Amino acid sequence: MVDVDLSHAPFSLLDETGRARVRGGLDLAYFDRDEIILEAGQPGENVFLIHKGEVAELDTTQPGERQRIGHYTGGDLFGAISILNGQSRYRFRAEQESLCYLLPRALFLELCAAYPAFDAFFRQRLADKARLLTEQRAAGGVTMSGFMLARAEDCMRPPRCLAGETTIAEAVRRLHDEAVDSLLVEGEDGPGMVTKTDLLDALVLEGLGQQTPLSSLARGSLITARPDQYLFEVLVLMTRHRIERVVIVEDEAPVGVVELTDVLSYFSSRSHVVSLQVEQAGDLEQLAVASRRTAELAGALMAQGVKLRFAMGLLAALNGRIIHKAWGFSMPERRQRDSCLMVMGSEGRGEQMLKTDQDNGLILDDGLDWPDCMERMAEFTETLVRLGYPRCPGNIMVSNPDWVGTERQWKARIARWVEARDGDSLMKLAIMLDAHAVAGNPALLERVRAALFEAASKDELLLSYFARPVLRFSTPLTLFGSLKKPQHGIDIKKGGIFPIVHGVRVMALERGILATGTLERLDALAADGRLEERFAEDLGEALSLFTELRLEQQLARLAGDGEDDGGEPDRVVVQSLSSLERDLLREALHIVKDFKQRLSHRYHLEYA
Amino acid sequence: MLKTLRRLVDRHRHAHGQYGWLFRPYTGEELVALAVQSTGGDVRGAEPLAIAAVRLRGDRVLTSESLELRLARPEGVDAETLRRHGLRGIDLDDGVSIDQALARLLDFVGNRPLVGWRLDRDLALLNRQLRARFGFELPNAGIDLVQRYQRHHHHSRLEVAPAFERVAEQLEVPLMGRHSVLGTAVTTALMHLRLDRDAVLARRSG
Repeated sequence: MVDVDLSHAPFSLLDETGRARVRGGLDLAYFDRDEIILEAGQPGENVFLIHKGEVAELDTTQPGERQRIGHYTGGDLFGAISILNGQSRYRFRAEQESLCYLLPRALFLELCAAYPAFDAFFRQRLADKARLLTEQRAAGGVTMSGFMLARAEDCMRPPRCLAGETTIAEAVRRLHDEAVDSLLVEGEDGPGMVTKTDLLDALVLEGLGQQTPLSSLARGSLITARPDQYLFEVLVLMTRHRIERVVIVEDEAPVGVVELTDVLSYFSSRSHVVSLQVEQAGDLEQLAVASRRTAELAGALMAQGVKLRFAMGLLAALNGRIIHKAWGFSMPERRQRDSCLMVMGSEGRGEQMLKTDQDNGLILDDGLDWPDCMERMAEFTETLVRLGYPRCPGNIMVSNPDWVGTERQWKARIARWVEARDGDSLMKLAIMLDAHAVAGNPALLERVRAALFEAASKDELLLSYFARPVLRFSTPLTLFGSLKKPQHGIDIKKGGIFPIVHGVRVMALERGILATGTLERLDALAADGRLEERFAEDLGEALSLFTELRLEQQLARLAGDGEDDGGEPDRVVVQSLSSLERDLLREALHIVKDFKQRLSHRYHLEYA
Repeated sequence: MLKTLRRLVDRHRHAHGQYGWLFRPYTGEELVALAVQSTGGDVRGAEPLAIAAVRLRGDRVLTSESLELRLARPEGVDAETLRRHGLRGIDLDDGVSIDQALARLLDFVGNRPLVGWRLDRDLALLNRQLRARFGFELPNAGIDLVQRYQRHHHHSRLEVAPAFERVAEQLEVPLMGRHSVLGTAVTTALMHLRLDRDAVLARRSG
């Protein structure tokens, strides 16, 4: 009919003829406040498209407030799944007087049959819908960076492999003839790499003869990637390991080399400019300048439509490098070898885009004698504040003696926490589980974490206590309709991010998975068989969606156009989202709810 | 009185003709909301430009079963009038003739009761054309929303008739497809449902 906007998904997936059929086939109906529009168990006769009003979706098998599992307003659509399933699983009730368009079942099914994309929309999983959103955004002005879509194989050079007995003289000639900077050298333990610089060093600094075989100078243990990995991931690898070449390996054989300069020709410069600034910074002042630019970089990456997972990876790698360099400037070299600086919380998981509070700790070698250690640590905390990392309100910082200790002290602390199982201890265990070494000797942290896994991962009772906070905050689907002022929004961190991050953390602890990032943990849990691959993927997408929504608000606030609403960075105002975003959010929250139920079952939280 | 007489005569004459069924009492549950756009001014001189009708069944507005007719440009209608109604000359160029339009309208409406905003005026316009061409006037029962609204809100009939848009706003009915005649018919239908609903609520609480 006249007033219906069909320019959004799913109707944008039809052609003009299809949309004309929708327009011609719609009826209108009013529903009173509290009127039941569709009862649970009732066959679906119509798809409802809300013109005006609000409708709640209720799970009648649940008691009280937990009934409410969905909320729909103007522009939203419901009832389609009821048609596809044959009957409605839930009850739909008008929260306010609502005017709905009704698309009859027969017409809906005809459209599904005639338009596969339309049909798929209703049968899709969250991951696919999120892609749809990205594509829609891309079409709406934001250019999807060509870089994002490029894979390693699009940008690699053929590998130039030489036998191990090849001489330096021959290698130099090959480099010159082929105008390249590096060569792969076959060795007993797989290929190694030799660069122009290596050859120069060998000839001049080490005084080796021109006839020396390459096998004596090739560096093994290469950083590698698969040809189908995104170029962006390769860049993340380069940033993290401070290298300029990554070998592309397929079935354990090198098939190409990606050079940093080639990646840069694909990429618009900004991220590399920032990482170069970080690398080249000679003192804390210069480092602070580079550090300030990371927020700007986060915004640019989002605007370019870079997949959040990669953007977070790059920024985490950059933040890690900044802290690493700051540590290098501040501490005497010999201390650095005998200690390990770790970052924790979202920094440890590599899940922050903007600078968050400092969460860090220090592990010292058991034999180390460092009298002015605490003074130096207090200074270091100040240094990080200057670099733009605010103080941790919970005082989880190296300036706090509780978060500094020798390896033996740390192991004793962990044993104590596991024993105590109280709220504070459990929180500290969670923090240590996410710890990630950024400077010094990482082996120290590895040993402490190994002790943690050994003490905790088989302790069913501890796991149950540990998992309990997942249920602390209700899934905010219940809040959609019942908020006093809808402008207050929902707390996306408590309602969405925390249950996923913590639930996945508990499972990772149980299965002895060492990764600290939630998405990596999910991959590992899927590989381990603990979670179905599909569900793990959906959880990952849900987490990305929550993070993205939160980030958008944070960036808007940084840019200064979000009014200060009392410092609540985790509130997402549902009403300000597009109907597709709202749809995605709702679905993501359903996944969280499902996940919580599984956790509750697995760790026996129902008796908690 | 005169109207009733006229209807009796009409029925007598046409009872066995093509449109005889229009004169039988309606036993179904449907209504038809009607809207007519005209050249404006005096009812006697006004010519219909577009006609829309939409069926109502229970609490549903059956927009999927609606009728929208643009008439061929009547003689002597200037561009200025058209513009006032948001129409262009072109819109009327492929319009249907008034004969066709009335025949299709009669088929669509049948003997269902009619609902309209200032229904009298719309009916007067149509009936003048109908009598000239078919020899009878629409015998359907009718509900005029203006009267219904005034009665509902205890307004005196002597007061100036309220504006369509304002009433829609007061009833919290969205204005559908503004400036389109079908939109007006649908809004009218929604207003009717709202008044029905209010009446039910009033009875329940009273």
